[in-house]
Amino acid sequence: MDIQQLLNGLFIGSIYALFAIGFTLVFGVLDRLNLAHPAVFTVAAFVGIELVEVGGLSIWAALPVVFVVGGLLGLVIERVAFRPLKGRPDAHFAGLISSIALAGMFIALLQWRYGPDTKRFPAESFPETTYKVLGAQVTGVQVAILLITVVLAVGLHLLVGRTRLGRGMRATAENPTAARVVGINVDRVSATTLAISSALGAVAGALFAMNVNSAQLGMGSAIELKGLAVIVVGGMASLPGALVGGLLLGLAEVFTVQYIGSSWRDLVAFGLLFLILVARPQGLFGTRKVREV
Amino acid sequence: MPGDATLVFIAIGGIFAFSFYAVLVAGQLSLGQAGFAAIAAFGSASLAPAPSEVGEIPALLIAVAIGMSVGALASIVLGLPTMHLRGVFLAIATLGFAEAVRILIINTESLGGAQGMSVPKVVTPAIAWVFLVLVAYWFWRQGPSRYGRALAAIREDELAARAMGIDVGRHRLQAFVTSGAVAGLYGVLWAYFVRLIAPEDFSFTTAIDGLVTAVVGGSTLFVGPILGSVFLTLVPDLQRAIGIDAGWIRPFLASLLLLLVILFLPGGLAGLIPRRVRMPAITGTDLGSAVAGLDPRRHPAAGEQVVRLRGLSKDYGGVHAVRDVDLEVTGGEIVGLIGPNGAGKTTLVNMISGLVRGTSGTVEVLGVRPGRTAVHRIAAAGVSRTFQHSRLFPRLTALENTLVGSHVVARPTFLRRLLWLPSARHDERQALQHAARCLERVGLADKGAVVASALSYGDQRRLEIARALAADPSLLILDEPAAGMNRVEAEQLSDLIGALGRDGLTILLIEHNVGMVMRTCTRIVVLNFGEVLATGTPEEIAGNPEVVEAYLGSAETEEEPR
Repeated sequence: MDIQQLLNGLFIGSIYALFAIGFTLVFGVLDRLNLAHPAVFTVAAFVGIELVEVGGLSIWAALPVVFVVGGLLGLVIERVAFRPLKGRPDAHFAGLISSIALAGMFIALLQWRYGPDTKRFPAESFPETTYKVLGAQVTGVQVAILLITVVLAVGLHLLVGRTRLGRGMRATAENPTAARVVGINVDRVSATTLAISSALGAVAGALFAMNVNSAQLGMGSAIELKGLAVIVVGGMASLPGALVGGLLLGLAEVFTVQYIGSSWRDLVAFGLLFLILVARPQGLFGTRKVREV
Repeated sequence: MPGDATLVFIAIGGIFAFSFYAVLVAGQLSLGQAGFAAIAAFGSASLAPAPSEVGEIPALLIAVAIGMSVGALASIVLGLPTMHLRGVFLAIATLGFAEAVRILIINTESLGGAQGMSVPKVVTPAIAWVFLVLVAYWFWRQGPSRYGRALAAIREDELAARAMGIDVGRHRLQAFVTSGAVAGLYGVLWAYFVRLIAPEDFSFTTAIDGLVTAVVGGSTLFVGPILGSVFLTLVPDLQRAIGIDAGWIRPFLASLLLLLVILFLPGGLAGLIPRRVRMPAITGTDLGSAVAGLDPRRHPAAGEQVVRLRGLSKDYGGVHAVRDVDLEVTGGEIVGLIGPNGAGKTTLVNMISGLVRGTSGTVEVLGVRPGRTAVHRIAAAGVSRTFQHSRLFPRLTALENTLVGSHVVARPTFLRRLLWLPSARHDERQALQHAARCLERVGLADKGAVVASALSYGDQRRLEIARALAADPSLLILDEPAAGMNRVEAEQLSDLIGALGRDGLTILLIEHNVGMVMRTCTRIVVLNFGEVLATGTPEEIAGNPEVVEAYLGSAETEEEPR
């Protein structure tokens, strides 16, 4: 087995995982698919580059700022695309469309500010150091991508499992009406959930831009499909599932490119996705919800 | 005036939106249409004869036939393994299929790979609009047919639709295949208009555009997809015409408009069109199916077996909800089922109507075996029920709810409606009459045009009964029909149930209002902790001290509200 490819798979896979964790968090808690998530990912990549290029921040200092920007976008998404639909019988479909619309507005605004062209980080933004791991070349950025993903995933896991806010999220996921009855401010939980989700998606976007040193307006679409595949494979609403699913997808892609051919790379995600949906719809880590009679 | 290309794009965009409409009316979200369209476009481009050989129109018609067939075929292949998926899961599975198709095409040399194929340009605005009108006609005729109402019922409440005798799996697959065929038509028309087809024409973005068009236009009225396509195709043109063409303003305004439509026009653009619901004039009062011109049903005569339970039990984990129940009900009986909360009454009737399968023991109802037979077949055999918590179809009118109830006795009308056969019109009118009579019978004659969710609580309970009656059932199961009714309403309901019994219906009544049960029923069964505590005539039950103790508790802890 090729160690270099294995590591490359892990690095790209952890970006997928970070993106998918945010995606699945909203699905798990609010039962909504937020299709503005990929737009946040894209916005974050451009904002990250501007912070470094114009703001003169180092790439490491830019990340926390991007995290906050993502969180604010999440609040906007909740307020504009989801809260007004509360209680509507078609809230599922309508939420998809309203988040698509908001995503379109975000991307249009990006185009206004940055133009239609590919943007790159200024030269010398990245540390030159590379490390040798088991005979493979690894850059500092790649190590950071893996570490940041793990830290954020663990942090989120603790937040959901151990804190008062996390308890509110779990209660809302179980039954929003009952959560409201026992005194949980469901609107605030929804807003916070979207803010956290978007903050994670934003960090994923900035890391992705660092990994390939470029940002394009269309970069969200490709990862959107992969994110959907990952959350289904891992199990909708399962955070560990999204993490493992993301890493698996990254590895599977890298090895497909190496052994089969680059044009087949994208089929991996969907082949995997389809098999899982037909054979085990609850995903690798999901649990089946019992339908009420 | 919009140019030729704009006219064509409106028409084929509308057709593509109809392929989403086809499944949205049944409450399914599919994103596989771009895949069906791609298979149809590339399939017909490779298989159909060239226009230079057979003439332009014949070549196009052959291509359309090929495209719609392969679209339908692909949707069967995809639909069979995925029809058990719901909501977002179905959307993602179908999206995965569409992406897989696209990638396969990119990797197929004979289809031109990523460059795609060139196709002769045959489609003119006139041709595109003829096809759009045909598709719209199809869905216009589908809406108010028995089939169309069944799809709407599935969208509104799948479980209730099942209990009304609708074969949900078959209907969902039919809607899915219709969607596949229409998407195939779109693929072919697209191919024969744009000259060069590439796999990128059938990407995720394409599918999203189609979905957005259908939802913005409105997915409950057949003109919706056309309105959506006109709107979304013309917005960029309009913006260009009034001189807004900075690169980013156009997509920004288009997205903003989309957001406003989805937030403030819940029914899409078609929701702006006022809906008129006409109540049919009621002639006669008979509820029997033979008289209503529906498929006749023979009800069991007095003394004939209707329900037979033997040793029936149901465990949920360690909880014995129902334990070893034997019960027989014969034709014309009105059996009251009473017992404290949690005694297993609802579980018992769920097993009788086939929604829940018993852990052990046997159920036999009207010659079928609930639990082993699909729920819709139990309903078709003549079992009709109401639910403890109303499960009406909230966005359908009272009349439409009742019409759905008559699904098992009404004749299918969609295909005959497509051909404008007078018999379809006649059957529809009979079904309407029947539904109106059922509404009148429960006292809702003047509420037929009101949507179910807007009815008062008591009226919703009554509508559930009317909907159940519309199936002309042999066994009517009423699960707490008087809950939330005042004394006068409960008395009226009691009279109605008595009258239905005299008409020959067999009725199983669950009710907490003991007075009403005593007054209405010919026999009473008392359940406690899942077991039959006592059974007998109202007088016997009233005098049974064990029942009084179990049901009312001892005097100190009594808190019976009624």
